[in-house]
Amino acid sequence: MAPAAGTREAAGPARSLADLLDATFQYWALVPALLILLALTLYPMLSILRMAVSTIDFAQGQFLWTFTGLQNWRSFVEDWLFRIALKNTLIFVIVAVTIEMLLGLSLALLACQIQMGKGIYRTIMVLPILVPAVAIGCMWRLMYNYDFGIFNQALVALGLTPLAWLADPRLAMASVILVDIWHWVPFVFLILLAGLEALPVEALEAANVDGANGWQRLRYVILPMIGPTLSVVVMFRTIFAFKVFDEIFLLTSGGPGTATEVVSLYIYKVFFAENRLGYGALLAILTILTICAFVGTYRWTRLGRRDPWAG
Amino acid sequence: MCSKRKLLCVLGLLSVWAVLALPRGTPIALAAAQPAKPAKDLFLDVGKHPPITMLINQSPWYGGFEKVVKLYEEQTGNTLNLDVSPYAGMLEKARNAARGKESPFDWVNIDTQNTVEFYLGGFLSPLKEIDSGFQLDPQVSTYDDCLFWNERTQWRDRNGVLMGLPVQGNVNLYYYRTDLFERAGLKVPETWDEVAAAAEKLGKGGELYGFVVRGERGNAIRFDWMSYMLGAGASIEKDAPNGDFTVTVNSPPAKRALDFYLSLAKRFGPPNSGAIGQNDLIQLITTGKALQLNMVAAAWPNMDNPERSRVVGKVNVALIPRPADGVFATPIGNWVSGIPKNIPLERKRAALAFMRWFLTFEAQYKFAEFGGIPPVRMDVFDSDLATRPQFRWMAAYKKSLPYAKQLLGYKEGAQVEAVLGLRLNQALVGELSSAKALNLAAEDIYKAFQQGGRKTGLLPKLPE
Amino acid sequence: MGGLRGKALILGHLAMILACLIILAPFAWIIMNSAKQQIDIYEGTLQFTPTWRNYERLLFSKQSNFIRNVANSALVATASTLAVMAVGTLTAYALTRYAWGRRFRVGAWLKAALLGWILLFHMIPAITLVGPWYLIFRELGLYNNLLGLVLTHITLNLPMATWLMMSFIQDVPRELEDAAWIDGCRRVGAFLRVILPVIVPGLVATGVLSFIFSWNEFSVALNLTASPTATIPVAISNFAQQYEIQYGEMAAGTVLATVPAILLMFAGQRFIVRGLMLGAFK
Repeated sequence: MAPAAGTREAAGPARSLADLLDATFQYWALVPALLILLALTLYPMLSILRMAVSTIDFAQGQFLWTFTGLQNWRSFVEDWLFRIALKNTLIFVIVAVTIEMLLGLSLALLACQIQMGKGIYRTIMVLPILVPAVAIGCMWRLMYNYDFGIFNQALVALGLTPLAWLADPRLAMASVILVDIWHWVPFVFLILLAGLEALPVEALEAANVDGANGWQRLRYVILPMIGPTLSVVVMFRTIFAFKVFDEIFLLTSGGPGTATEVVSLYIYKVFFAENRLGYGALLAILTILTICAFVGTYRWTRLGRRDPWAG
Repeated sequence: MCSKRKLLCVLGLLSVWAVLALPRGTPIALAAAQPAKPAKDLFLDVGKHPPITMLINQSPWYGGFEKVVKLYEEQTGNTLNLDVSPYAGMLEKARNAARGKESPFDWVNIDTQNTVEFYLGGFLSPLKEIDSGFQLDPQVSTYDDCLFWNERTQWRDRNGVLMGLPVQGNVNLYYYRTDLFERAGLKVPETWDEVAAAAEKLGKGGELYGFVVRGERGNAIRFDWMSYMLGAGASIEKDAPNGDFTVTVNSPPAKRALDFYLSLAKRFGPPNSGAIGQNDLIQLITTGKALQLNMVAAAWPNMDNPERSRVVGKVNVALIPRPADGVFATPIGNWVSGIPKNIPLERKRAALAFMRWFLTFEAQYKFAEFGGIPPVRMDVFDSDLATRPQFRWMAAYKKSLPYAKQLLGYKEGAQVEAVLGLRLNQALVGELSSAKALNLAAEDIYKAFQQGGRKTGLLPKLPE
Repeated sequence: MGGLRGKALILGHLAMILACLIILAPFAWIIMNSAKQQIDIYEGTLQFTPTWRNYERLLFSKQSNFIRNVANSALVATASTLAVMAVGTLTAYALTRYAWGRRFRVGAWLKAALLGWILLFHMIPAITLVGPWYLIFRELGLYNNLLGLVLTHITLNLPMATWLMMSFIQDVPRELEDAAWIDGCRRVGAFLRVILPVIVPGLVATGVLSFIFSWNEFSVALNLTASPTATIPVAISNFAQQYEIQYGEMAAGTVLATVPAILLMFAGQRFIVRGLMLGAFK
């Protein structure tokens, strides 16, 4: 059989260099990422670590770093508000991400079985993530407005009492979660749809032949096959949810009371408004550790074990 | 700038000041006593300078400022670039610029509560270092001396060094519906009782809120409550200008002020007082749903604009009412412009030259006319502008200034605001009683002062 | 996947349409607001006299530079997406398709460290990164420079792109690649001709998301740009002011910002799909 164009046999003296590159492809393919990471992530991360064990003041226009060891840690131990923020954030993350995953998965399953109009559905579903977070916060604040907002207008038209969506401590968190769901279900939908579309048809048809019904097919064939994609989506959605800031900042500023106080709002306050850089950096690190613990526990569940890290 | 020109400028300023400060009765003073109008082309000549950049935020008064800058560029041939940033990013941009090697901005605008951070950090150039002959015109309000920094007492007081210049002033004023008050034959309230009485008489449940408080958590409710607290004779610290940071926010007068505030909200306000921000205040009064409220003077342009208001011509402002046995008081929320230290001297001089031009009567008059609300020179409030109907807010603003106070002018200011902003809001939404809210606030503020190494103490707790 | 038939198909469509209506309702609200006067927006009425003043002020007023901001956003988002997709897919392929740790023990550690580092970096709130980055870029002269912004966006989106592409590449069965290997293809060839066409849906999804995240990125853009290089989120947040929010202009800005984004994504999707599908048939 004649050698196909571009294959090993066809190449001449340049063979050895090309072969060498090919053999080491796995290493130099990583070079671009390593360069970027070294250049732009090393300094900020080290900076934050250093800040967490220091107190930073300013005098005569200069930074004044003083190593203060565990003083920031002591502030954290006495900080009851940060604990509330952590608790609220965990509730927010668990509720929001669960609902978003369920809705996103259902819609993706539906969409990938529909031939007609799939493109239109996909384009429409993408719209909420296109809107800048600032605009989303302001827009929903208007909609939740007590006197003139569209939700209360609808309630009044139906003869019900208007609700204080953002001012009632019991409702505020739910209102904020609703906004997040509207904003991020498209993210889940988009990725899961892509994952489902890439599934090989043979395996699915084999399951049909074996006599499996819809639910069994879903549970034992489809879900395991998109396992890696599912777990990556959950992981990233969780991380984003932990970092939620703009919407809550514009909707409630963490209020009423401490009902919607979340970690990123609190860190913003400490780091920027109060200019306590050392303590803020420590809080950022603690938040990262919490996220790691959260994601790590998730990995040990059944769904989590099939993720890219495990290979 | 060569010394001859400098001398002329100083002489020019001095003569303007002399004319306006002459006792009434002298012929020149009589002429000056007519509401003044700027003579054409009598703007200050500040000489040629390199182009400079100013960091500024988009706002209702920005339009007026931009037009005045254009006037400056036309008159002097100097260039002033305006880098417009969203309000949310102003502080961080100013900080980065000041902390870096060379600031891209020659003037940074700083919100008054953040000025202490910049003064303490030594990021700004004292104006006398740029130009030893620079004098602040007495007609320019110093807004409770927030422009000075006294290194020895670590306080913003007159004996300190001049660090910045005011680019815009702002205090809280009392807004009310003139048509409804006139129809009911009520006079403009001056005391808390009169406010409550008017709300009781004219308020109509969900149709017309008798009084709306700005109760959103954080800076909103803290700023809003200040006039009540100060009016009742209470304060947050005992004597901070002289170093005594004993926490006095949980005193009986403060509780009285908070109780009145909460009763106003509960009896006359909307059910969602705990989430009302500045924007919601504007919305409620311009849609005609609010009878009275306290709001910043700079929100005035919305009232008479038919695109933004259903109550054109039906709103006016007055001094914020005080308790019958208390004092008038209003918090200040102005902008201070400072020159960063880390720029070359020619650019500093150019920046100062613009401000010198901007603070003259002529420029300030134009600024106010173009929509710059409020201007920073007092004589503009006495000019013929104040007689025009759309500037009817000027009288109340001028009357308020002697009672206007700067608050939280120290390093821990932001922490204190966060504490108060939370506790007051918790009291408003009913999570805490007023006594408990103030007691808890006092404890947290005490801790913050302790961490800052201040001489501090606590009052006995209020009975809960 | 198999298709739905009959009643199930109709129900499926109905469910999708319901979801789309819920998604679109707030957009209808925004479009309405963009044509309303401020007082009508405040009153939230459904009957109003439309006005073009918001768009006028947004596009033509001296205070607004919106067209320039859209151009900036388009440039930055396109450039950073192309770069992130290239780097991310390469990295993902290298990390999944090779057995790290077989030849050198340290290989497994390298892979875990790299993946862990980018994930850790991704957890940091972007606002805490701004300070150090500002200092770096001022030194390099890249402040107020679109190239600097593109670099930061690449860094911010690299974690998600890499991890997503890893999961998509993993879904491709090894047999396909081995077949190409037997046919005499080199690794690179196998990658380009076999893997890429199969993961096109994944590529498109990841590309779309990277584009959108770059388009909407706010904190870094706010601090590393000045007026000439500002992007759309910065421009729109100019309307969230100290004392009030200019809802009309903000709505107009949102509408105008969404349109180019959709067009760019449409064009991008078609380009990728067509280009890669052609390659698959070689």
